[in-house]
Amino acid sequence: MKYTLMTALLGSAMMLTACGGDKPAETNNSKAATPAAATNSEIRIVGSSTVYPFSTKVAQEYKNKTGQNVVVESTGSGGGHKLFCDSTGADTADITNSSRRQKKSELDKCIANGVDEVVEVKVGFDGIVIANSRNGVDMPLTLKQIYMAFAKEVPTSDTNCAMIANPYTKWSQIDSSLPDTKIEAYGPPPTSGTRDAFVEVAMEGGAKKVTCMSTLRKNDKKAFANMAHTLREDGLWIDSGENDNAIVQTLVNTPTAIGVFGYSFLDQNGDKVKGAAVDGADPTFENIASGAYPISRSLFFYIKAANVQANPGIQKFALEFTDESAWGPGGYLEEIGLVPLPEAERAKYRAAVENLTAYSQ
Amino acid sequence: MEKPISIHAGDRALKRLKKRRRSEAVFKAFGVAAIVFAVCALSWLLFSIVSTGYKAFYQHTITLEVELSESILAPDGTRDPDTLRGANYRRIMQDTMFERFPEINALEGRDQRTAKRQLFDVMSTSGGPNHIRQMVYNDPSLVGQTITVKVPTSDVVDQYLKGNLNTDVPEEQRNITDRQIAWVKTLNESGEIKAGFNSRLLFSTDSRDPELAGIASSFVGSLMTMFVTLLLAFPIGVGAAIWLDEFAPKNKFVDFIEININNLAAVPSIVFGLLGLAVLLNWGGMPRSAPIVGGIVLALLTFPTIVIATRSSLRAVPPSIRDGALSVGASHVQAVFHHKLPLAAPGIMTGSIIGMARALGETAPLLMIGMVAFLTQIPKDMTEPATALPVQVYLWAGNAEQAWTERTSAAIMILLLVLVIMNGFAIWLRRRLEKRW
Amino acid sequence: MELSIPIYCLLIVIMGALTFVLAKRRARAVAQGADRTILAQSFHSRPNFHGLFAGGLVMLLSFNAMLAGLKIGFPGFATIGLMIAFAALAFLYARTTVRADFKARIWVERFVKSLLLICSVIAVLTTVGIVLSLVFESLRFFKEVPVLDFLTGLQWSPQTALRADQAGQSGAFGAVPIFAGTFLIMLVAISLAAPVGLMIAIYLSEYATPRVRAWVKPAIEILAGVPTVVYGYFALLTVGPTIRNFAESLGASVPTQSAIAAGSVMGVMIIPFISSLSDDVINAVPQSLRDGSLALGATKSETVKKVVFGGALPGIIGAMLLAISRAVGETMIVVMAAGTAANLTANPFEAVTTVTVQIVTLLTGDSEFDTAKTLSAFALGLVLFIITLILNVIALMIVRRYRERYD
Repeated sequence: MKYTLMTALLGSAMMLTACGGDKPAETNNSKAATPAAATNSEIRIVGSSTVYPFSTKVAQEYKNKTGQNVVVESTGSGGGHKLFCDSTGADTADITNSSRRQKKSELDKCIANGVDEVVEVKVGFDGIVIANSRNGVDMPLTLKQIYMAFAKEVPTSDTNCAMIANPYTKWSQIDSSLPDTKIEAYGPPPTSGTRDAFVEVAMEGGAKKVTCMSTLRKNDKKAFANMAHTLREDGLWIDSGENDNAIVQTLVNTPTAIGVFGYSFLDQNGDKVKGAAVDGADPTFENIASGAYPISRSLFFYIKAANVQANPGIQKFALEFTDESAWGPGGYLEEIGLVPLPEAERAKYRAAVENLTAYSQ
Repeated sequence: MEKPISIHAGDRALKRLKKRRRSEAVFKAFGVAAIVFAVCALSWLLFSIVSTGYKAFYQHTITLEVELSESILAPDGTRDPDTLRGANYRRIMQDTMFERFPEINALEGRDQRTAKRQLFDVMSTSGGPNHIRQMVYNDPSLVGQTITVKVPTSDVVDQYLKGNLNTDVPEEQRNITDRQIAWVKTLNESGEIKAGFNSRLLFSTDSRDPELAGIASSFVGSLMTMFVTLLLAFPIGVGAAIWLDEFAPKNKFVDFIEININNLAAVPSIVFGLLGLAVLLNWGGMPRSAPIVGGIVLALLTFPTIVIATRSSLRAVPPSIRDGALSVGASHVQAVFHHKLPLAAPGIMTGSIIGMARALGETAPLLMIGMVAFLTQIPKDMTEPATALPVQVYLWAGNAEQAWTERTSAAIMILLLVLVIMNGFAIWLRRRLEKRW
Repeated sequence: MELSIPIYCLLIVIMGALTFVLAKRRARAVAQGADRTILAQSFHSRPNFHGLFAGGLVMLLSFNAMLAGLKIGFPGFATIGLMIAFAALAFLYARTTVRADFKARIWVERFVKSLLLICSVIAVLTTVGIVLSLVFESLRFFKEVPVLDFLTGLQWSPQTALRADQAGQSGAFGAVPIFAGTFLIMLVAISLAAPVGLMIAIYLSEYATPRVRAWVKPAIEILAGVPTVVYGYFALLTVGPTIRNFAESLGASVPTQSAIAAGSVMGVMIIPFISSLSDDVINAVPQSLRDGSLALGATKSETVKKVVFGGALPGIIGAMLLAISRAVGETMIVVMAAGTAANLTANPFEAVTTVTVQIVTLLTGDSEFDTAKTLSAFALGLVLFIITLILNVIALMIVRRYRERYD
């Protein structure tokens, strides 16, 4: 037994020293979880779950045309920017999709970490829809009602801006024309660009309609923004994951619930869910393109120009994305719900991709 | 003097007896009801899976005459496959559809554009162009010729033809328009649309389009992961069991090891996933989503099961076998490896196969180590990102289009089939090689 | 120039095999002497073992040379040279050991036994690994969120803001609603599985004919072999909508993802656990006890209820505890069939979330390791591990302590 133990210990000791040894120099990016290992011949894309369907469609076409593999992960716009800006290097994210513009703080972080050449490409418009099951009732909403339904704290009245915790539990309490059902909303978490766009456009837009809030906005923009952006946490607004498809399924299963997500998911699931009209405008393709539908935003992706030299496929992928057959009217991205940019903007961003012009804020 | 009445005779006794007999019958009935309940639950499960899944095994295709026009594909006359790869095959397929239904040109402006889009949508808009792209890549001389091809229909049309869509509702509430229904009916009647075996389900990789998606990449990923699991868990598990049963001294430390193993067998699988995430990915820097990491995590999960199975097989071998070997002068090690182990082998193999079957169905630990990305290729080695069949089921279950329901069920059917084969093999092995002492 | 690991391994194996053959031949030659017929010297160990010892020594030393070479970062050829050098040294030394009095077999057996020991120790290492990783990450979490808040807080809003200029949730990490959800679903599952599983076990061991037993037992085992993701999908596809439709026909409103949908499917999944474990303990009760009871005129059901059950009770309780532990740790069924809403309720017809669902939700997607959000998943994992550990230990203790001695 003594000898057995000795031999065992000796063997283990040798193994363990070896284990410490044959790992090549790592740990410079082990703070963030190491992304799936991509060789130089792959393109790594992370980011928005709203842009994800478009990105994967282009990835498929691109792979068919060139044979190069593209790996797309849906991490949310915020999560994508974090991974994107972490560092340069062949095995980091080459492109990040975003359903909102990159914030200055994020770009600063990129530059601080050495990612100083970022190419911004706007790819199209998207509407954020307030959807419910086709079996549910129609719910025409105004921006103000949206704000009152989802904010964590609301003003006591139109003229009194003393904030109270949101007391409304049913839609009919906000406005008698709305249904008498419990408020149950499934929406994007803070990692999602859809969330940022929603709070900035819909919540702020609704808050502005309250007289005293509008005065507050003139005096203290930051406080106003903070109050408008904070969503309720009492369980009536439920942060869902990055899987918008799961939200669609939840809506189908619960006809009194509503969901907040991008127009493309409404378009693709029009047989199961319908979108509520906001301020009188239905969430249709035309209304989003023309701006009549108030909650719309632009979709983007950002390219790490520094990686293109080692992996020219990145630029080719972006060229495929910005090709007329993809993002133009009648293209295959429009088919799955992307609202194309006007021609002039398409030309501008196409040129940016062709020349890999970095942008700045 | 009257004879005392026995408490076992008389009316009250009879009533008591009846009551007892009735409660016996009720008890027995409960037992039968419980069995019936469990069997019914199982049947309901299998029925709902198979009844939704069998439809995925066939799919509709359109037979078309496609003119591979040189002016669109190769205006400069090139026949280089790699250049031809990037040509506009979409346009070719669109033109083919428009030629098939020339009445579409009679429409105007916006209406014509919408109608053309809908017409093209009848076929699989990525599958169709890609099919001819692949044909031309393999044989560039096809450029300029007119060929007959079979392309899959879109998933909506496929669902409509399978009867899964509700066409009673008004048009805006459907995914298929009235025009499309008319075109599809025409093609169906003329035999240009036919149903055939859906080989894509088995041999294609995952795709955003349900009509093109298959389980090939996840199946290979599962195989790779299982391979690593077997390679690690089997020798280590058997080795540990042999040591514990034969060579371990009786002391506190060994007791501790035994308690550990029994405990690990009952630890929830997700905790193993957390272990893999924290130790293998974060601290060890191993590649995320790789079969090798998944294999190690599942090996740690399966190892206690194999130890327990091996120990019971070893214990089932009568001591006389070992004593016989020792009595002719063999050492302890020789007796175990030469005499005992071969006799315990059937039980060990059975236990290991059952353990592996359990590992094949595990999903939660693989989710933790990241095997959830959308991948378009079959992994070539153990360090590339991959996914596994149960994870594929989980991902597909979250997709919204109607067509995914049947494919998820079909993938489950395939998974269950593999498990049935594995378990059946284990049982057959045990029956075949079993020795009665 | 880097050569791949398999090539090194191939080299090691070839050198080892060569040495084995040579050493064995030499041992045989030395033992048989010039005559090749008589045993010139009486060897302690058979030639095979000398071969194994020599071959093993060569492989071991060249393997270590390979590891050393890789660690120092030698180019391919230098590592191979190092390996061959060490192999040669081993070879020369081994040659001197091929003699009568060298106990080659003992050394080989010691080595084998040490390998087996290492295999067993891996179990301990795994547990240590689990505990350390969970505790380590949880400690980092508890630096930001106090333990008491976590264990007793009533609000679970982990989706904190991602950037300074963003307003997210308030980052409350009170896990009570999650524990409540786990408890509720577990309760639903056990209330279904315990009576059904127990009755199945009793019927199969007391009443069933061997033919019935031969068919029913495997059928129940099949329930145990179905992957949990399949159960989850079944709950999502069929059971949930059925419950919802049924409730609607009664006028109530029940979401598809509810505690009862997930709990009932989970109950079906753990029926085989309870039934097969109980079956074993019931069978362990000696027939003599049953016979005695029947001889006194008791019916079979009375025998079971009054005699057998009492004797088997510790085992049955142990089985229940193990089944509870399984239900608590189950992931895929609840991920697909329960919701993500941290709802503190006792109503099984509402959507609740469990510990395992939260772990999955927090760790898939945004994968960042220094936020409280992701670390909370490890804290939850630690709680889960501790709870299942306690349940398992108690189950074992009950079975051990109260097991009746029948002889």
